[in-house]
Amino acid sequence: MPTIITCFKWVIDEAYIRRGSSGDLDFSAVDYKISDYDRNAIEEAVKLKDVHGGTVASLTVGVPEATKGIKDSLSRGPDKAFFAADASFNNLEPSQTASLLAAVIRSFITPYDLILCGEGSSDLYTQQVGPRLAEILQIPSISFVQKVELKDGKVVAERRVEEGVEVVEAPLPALVTVLPDINVPRIPGVKDTLMASKKPVVTIKKEDLPPFPAPCMETVEMKAAKMDRSCEKFGTDTAEIARFVDVLRKKALI
Amino acid sequence: MDFKLTEEQELIRKNMREFAEKYVDPIAVEIDENSRHPEELFQKLAENDWMGMPIPVEYGGAGTDYLTHIVAVEELARSCASTGFTVSIHVGIIEMLILLFGTEEQKKKYLAPLAKGQNLGALALTEPGAGTDVMAATTTAVRDGNDFIINGTKTFTTNGPTAGTYLVFAWTDKAAGRKGMSAFIVTKGTPGMKAGEHFKKMGLRSSQTSEMVFKDCRVPQENLLGKEGNGMAIAMTGFDHGRIGIAGQCLGIMQAALDESVRYAKQRVQFGQPIARQEAISWMIANMATDLSAARFLTYHAAWLKDQKQPFSKEASMAKLFAAEKAMEHTIKAVQIQGGYGYCKGAKVERLMRDAKVTEIYEGTSEAQRLVISGNVLR
Amino acid sequence: MSGIWIIAEKKEHALELLTIGRVLAAQMETKLSAFLWKDQNVPEDYIACGADEIMLAAPGSEGQSLDAFIPVIAAEAENNHPDAILFAATARCRDLAARVASRMNTGLCSSCTSLAYDAADRTIKMERLAYGGAAVQKVICKTRPVMVTIPPGTFEQAKAEAGRTGIQRELSTPAPSVLKVIEKKTKVRETKDITESRVIVAVGRGFDKKEDLDLARKLACALGGEIGCTRPISEENHWLPEELCIGLSGVQVKPDFYLGLGVSGQVQHATGIRQAKVVAAVNKDENAPIFSVADFGIVGNLYDVVPKLLEALKRV
Repeated sequence: MPTIITCFKWVIDEAYIRRGSSGDLDFSAVDYKISDYDRNAIEEAVKLKDVHGGTVASLTVGVPEATKGIKDSLSRGPDKAFFAADASFNNLEPSQTASLLAAVIRSFITPYDLILCGEGSSDLYTQQVGPRLAEILQIPSISFVQKVELKDGKVVAERRVEEGVEVVEAPLPALVTVLPDINVPRIPGVKDTLMASKKPVVTIKKEDLPPFPAPCMETVEMKAAKMDRSCEKFGTDTAEIARFVDVLRKKALI
Repeated sequence: MDFKLTEEQELIRKNMREFAEKYVDPIAVEIDENSRHPEELFQKLAENDWMGMPIPVEYGGAGTDYLTHIVAVEELARSCASTGFTVSIHVGIIEMLILLFGTEEQKKKYLAPLAKGQNLGALALTEPGAGTDVMAATTTAVRDGNDFIINGTKTFTTNGPTAGTYLVFAWTDKAAGRKGMSAFIVTKGTPGMKAGEHFKKMGLRSSQTSEMVFKDCRVPQENLLGKEGNGMAIAMTGFDHGRIGIAGQCLGIMQAALDESVRYAKQRVQFGQPIARQEAISWMIANMATDLSAARFLTYHAAWLKDQKQPFSKEASMAKLFAAEKAMEHTIKAVQIQGGYGYCKGAKVERLMRDAKVTEIYEGTSEAQRLVISGNVLR
Repeated sequence: MSGIWIIAEKKEHALELLTIGRVLAAQMETKLSAFLWKDQNVPEDYIACGADEIMLAAPGSEGQSLDAFIPVIAAEAENNHPDAILFAATARCRDLAARVASRMNTGLCSSCTSLAYDAADRTIKMERLAYGGAAVQKVICKTRPVMVTIPPGTFEQAKAEAGRTGIQRELSTPAPSVLKVIEKKTKVRETKDITESRVIVAVGRGFDKKEDLDLARKLACALGGEIGCTRPISEENHWLPEELCIGLSGVQVKPDFYLGLGVSGQVQHATGIRQAKVVAAVNKDENAPIFSVADFGIVGNLYDVVPKLLEALKRV
């Protein structure tokens, strides 16, 4: 009966980001969500538990206000949650996140069999936390996974690479990062959400963890991506279509 | 005063938004055009526990408070006012009345299947000659041994053609006046009860509305809901709850109208700039946003009062009156903002405007609401 | 000790990295080294295209996973202290890069879309996309080596120069990895690689049924191009293979002419066409986001417009 850990990030929902007039980004009206691919990871962890039994723990590093994210994760099926919470756990970079996750796992969720992460987070999409975490824990990692199974103490995963699909096998404990194709995450029902508040949550303070590394990277700027094209419009009648084709011809595109 | 929703309420709202975007938005236009009741959608709503949220768990519900149910109705109506309305009346009137006035047996037998979404509830109260003037009803329920025999015609019965459980109001003792009407639970298939053709309506077209004809419809006395003669009070309690639901539905309509207006105003360029920069348009949007905020607080407050077990009739009426009138006003403005495009089929605001009108009419017209409110304030 | 290193599995990606590697090495006045798996690529070609040094790694046995090379790369880096290591952002190399970066306690800029050496403050300034393509993030790495993964196609392949010389040295063979590749299912390309296409006609949700895509194919043919699609068409409807999906999670295209039919233009798709020279779109919704990233737009029903376009093209 495996112990599965599923890591998630509570991120800004990019649908709410607005563009300021001078190209900077306006975060004043943003809402938060569990990063999209992490939802797939949580769903997959719960599916594995449905097959093999055992327990699923959700795990996140974030600011203390992210309690809603903890409840959200629990409403999707895990049995308990681990929450490393501190005001300074904001805008961490992958090396720091991985370090903190590893520290929590080593102190609080050992032994474990499988760690599931999303392939990348929907805010910065660096795709690093999974492999970095595996490296710190010195366990094998398999990324870009679209199908995963547990068989005889091993994890067997189908990963998507450029040339096609590889089926990879690794001994447990191991870490897997999942693609959104792996499953369709549930929309939690009302009862699931209410029951989430009754599941155990272990909140871990910064003082209970070893110090985490200083950031290696520095963000110099974050601006709205620009696509400066002024759309010249054409009508749908025959004359207008002819005019459009003529413009294309003059640009040597046809 | 804590003006924040709880984390659970926020998550439930978010989940309903996601549900609505995934399952309701793709069919909203079609079910309006074809006047179709989407049975498959209601099955999905049931699976996610949306069809009996404020009903206690032991009766098949999810055990939330009433405010949480209103928040869910709002999000659902934002995608489809018809669907939001169907859930609102099913939960807010039929289920709540059985919860409040039913016997233990009735709750187990009728409330649980409704809360689990196994069948839909319908309210048979209004008659061809009795709308705002409820006392002008002519449907009777005459005792015959251990049964009652119901005769009469009801109209504008929401979910008439599709329901499984009906609450039917009829005179058991006309001479007793306000204390002479009773409420009955009648299930589909009971001989003598027949749903008429579904009405072709201006808006809320997916919601099925019809006449219900009762001809010697025999109903056992166990199906009497609450005390004999208590029908009017039961109906009024039903409206108190239902009105908050309608206000919630109007919040959804208003939010959709605002979203559509903002989106369009930012992108539509005339005279070299987005029309959002024209004061005529931006002021409309400012008014819409302000009214929506006011309506929301009125509505949530009414629901909160009910959850606090405090009197809430007046507040429910105020919320419904204000939200409905503003919903109509805003949807007209939203079409205006979108001009010719807003007037065409396929534009969401066109459907919103048609849907909004009835909110000023059903569950007590705006005129009736003013009667209730002034009656309360001028006591 | 210094140097710019490049690491890629495939030759064409390595040649792309050599282009930018050459530039950085020149600016930073240091040498350019290429990491190469012996059986896959030819060291002399890399030297001709700009590498001063080749580090030859013994290829793994069949079924060996590339992560066996993590200790080899890390050990080399610890001995030779490169300034920067550039990886091709392929699935396997991304993993390699992340795990090596972790082992070396250094930073990694993923999916870097542009990098340049700033001699004034001696940093490498890097850019990447964030928030689903809505934002551009500029970063620097304060630690050494600076590690970067670069998506294939970001740079042109380096050209060979006659007379270039360089040294080759062999690296130690790593212990086998615990990961075993037990099966490889090579994808047979069903269609042409649209990242090479000069003209692309993309299909989106505006199409009602799979059969109607023939309209788009006809138009693509008339324009001398290929069809591509948005994510819902391939990933949800399965009307076209995923290799034709253009966007953040699909391919990036750089055609001379892109024409979107019934494509709404969500940011995830729009980032895939940023580098197109001319963008045009047909959509019946005048508020579709595609029009804000297009040079030309036709607001109309594609079922009406496309036949008219085909007619007009016949007359050209």
